[in-house]
Amino acid sequence: MSRVIALCFLFLAAVIGFLHIDSRPVWAPFATNTPAPAEVELESPVNLKSKNQNTPNKVGIANPISTWLPETGAASVHAASLIALKDGAIRAFWFAGSREGAADVVINSAVFDPKSSSWSAPTVVMDRVSAEKGLSRYIAKLGNPVPARMSDGRLQLFFVTVSIGGWAGSSISSVISDDEGLTWKNPQRLISSPLVNLSTLVKSPSVLFADGRLGLPAYHEWIGRFGEFLRIDAGQVIDKRRMSSGRSAIQPLVFVNDAQDATAYFRQTRGASQSKQVPVSQTQNAGQSWKLTTDLAIANPNSALTGLELNNGTRILVLNNIETGRYRLVLMMSNSKSGAWHTVEVLEDDEALPDDQRKEFSYPYLMSVDGNDAHLVYTWDRKKIRHRYFSGAWLKYAQNQLPILPTDPLYQEAK
Amino acid sequence: MNNLMQTVALIEMSLTCAALITLLLQKTFPQEFSLSTKVLLVFFIGNLFYWPFGFGMELPPAAYLRAVIGDLSIVTMLLLWASLLPGGKPAPLTFKFAIVFIAIGFYPFALGFSMVDPYAWGYGSIVFFIAVLFFALVCGLANWNKGVWIIAIAILAWAAQWHESANLWDYLLDPLLVIWALIALIGAFYRKRRDKARSGYLFRPG
Repeated sequence: MSRVIALCFLFLAAVIGFLHIDSRPVWAPFATNTPAPAEVELESPVNLKSKNQNTPNKVGIANPISTWLPETGAASVHAASLIALKDGAIRAFWFAGSREGAADVVINSAVFDPKSSSWSAPTVVMDRVSAEKGLSRYIAKLGNPVPARMSDGRLQLFFVTVSIGGWAGSSISSVISDDEGLTWKNPQRLISSPLVNLSTLVKSPSVLFADGRLGLPAYHEWIGRFGEFLRIDAGQVIDKRRMSSGRSAIQPLVFVNDAQDATAYFRQTRGASQSKQVPVSQTQNAGQSWKLTTDLAIANPNSALTGLELNNGTRILVLNNIETGRYRLVLMMSNSKSGAWHTVEVLEDDEALPDDQRKEFSYPYLMSVDGNDAHLVYTWDRKKIRHRYFSGAWLKYAQNQLPILPTDPLYQEAK
Repeated sequence: MNNLMQTVALIEMSLTCAALITLLLQKTFPQEFSLSTKVLLVFFIGNLFYWPFGFGMELPPAAYLRAVIGDLSIVTMLLLWASLLPGGKPAPLTFKFAIVFIAIGFYPFALGFSMVDPYAWGYGSIVFFIAVLFFALVCGLANWNKGVWIIAIAILAWAAQWHESANLWDYLLDPLLVIWALIALIGAFYRKRRDKARSGYLFRPG
């Protein structure tokens, strides 16, 4: 008799389980913006390798603006990210403390006013104690803040927490703000791994699905080093797909090609004898399955890269295009016709210095306010965060300078 | 909702720790504790884990344990809590063997061994869900009704999103369950060998 009751209860659970599965949202296609056709400018090319000052060049286009994120007095800063606010300002997030991984590390935020080209005073979004009280578990350190705009207009900030061990023991949590980042609700934990939820991190911006949910490129770096694509509904992972496997590629950056097609570029973490180029993964079903393809022929020294697609379909990347070290950071642009990548601006370069004097320029993050311009932040020698602004006009000129003919010596630079 | 979920998770962790300590205490006592004694012990010890001590500890002890071992699966918790009940039937060896067998196949792939990720099945794969129901049915047919109840409750907890995870695997399996099953299997193996050795000694032909 007791067996019959138990089996009846199982039947009830089965029915509820099937109803739960049936109520799950179907996997939606990517939300896409149809790119505006690229205008062909016939004006004379400009010298894009000019100094980083906001002064007009020969043809009257302002050179990129360079500012620094406000200092907090912390000895070590890292992993800055950006998001456009509704009023046209830009909010930056980064982590700062006595050293990376220290208990005093906090996630800071500041707002950039484009009119005055100045940053507000920094505020603390999250510290270790607030995180552990909100998540009801001990937190040893924080890192990697990545903001996203939810489909209902609210801001969501993903960040990494570690309870034990190093970054390999990370988990992702998120907080939501109803007031453009002035105040934040309690954090929520994203569960994405079956082994004590260990080792999932985030670095790159999310992409939007047509149903308003977010696709968050994440990665593992413990037993395996691979990318994963998390489907997020508010503060919960509702599905995920593997973007790579093994121990060779982390920090995926996703470019959406159309509603079903997307390409992910990774930071390579391969062994010494293997190729030091950017690993690539491709999906043709809106992220439901991914397949590794041929590397992008740009050198990568096991360091993060960032990218952005402009409204006209032009793509830009910022990365260390060297095989070892992080002393050189460049802005690259793809030729929309040939698909080749070309360096359009060397942002930092300490190659001429001796090894021990070279600084580290790392963890770049790109964001556009209007789809034509680009704001960039990156870690400057772990001591400061540098902000660069490239206007739409400057980027358009840079695009017009790209070689378009196969005979051009630069054509094969990075196809 | 999130606050309630966190409170529930801390209560579960506190009760689990209390149940474990009560079981260990029982092992050291020659007499069987009565049910009321066990309930009182769980209540008292559970409170020690649930409330913060102060003295520099920002969180209750359960929150520190939760940071290390995560949220336990419903199956682990119910197995542990049910072991305090009188007259309980221990989990069959076949169940423990199945847990270890599944874990050996599951964890390497779930942790990135290949592009196949069985963990992703737990978000809503019908095939995986049917496999879980089949497993529960086999427990019932093997006359282990407790297993049927536990798996059914785990399914209901998953459907109700009782924990932070939306993945059915997290309600069914966790590393501590695998470790427990593995230790139990090794213990059973050594007991069998010992018994065999003893019987061999006693009945050795002269």
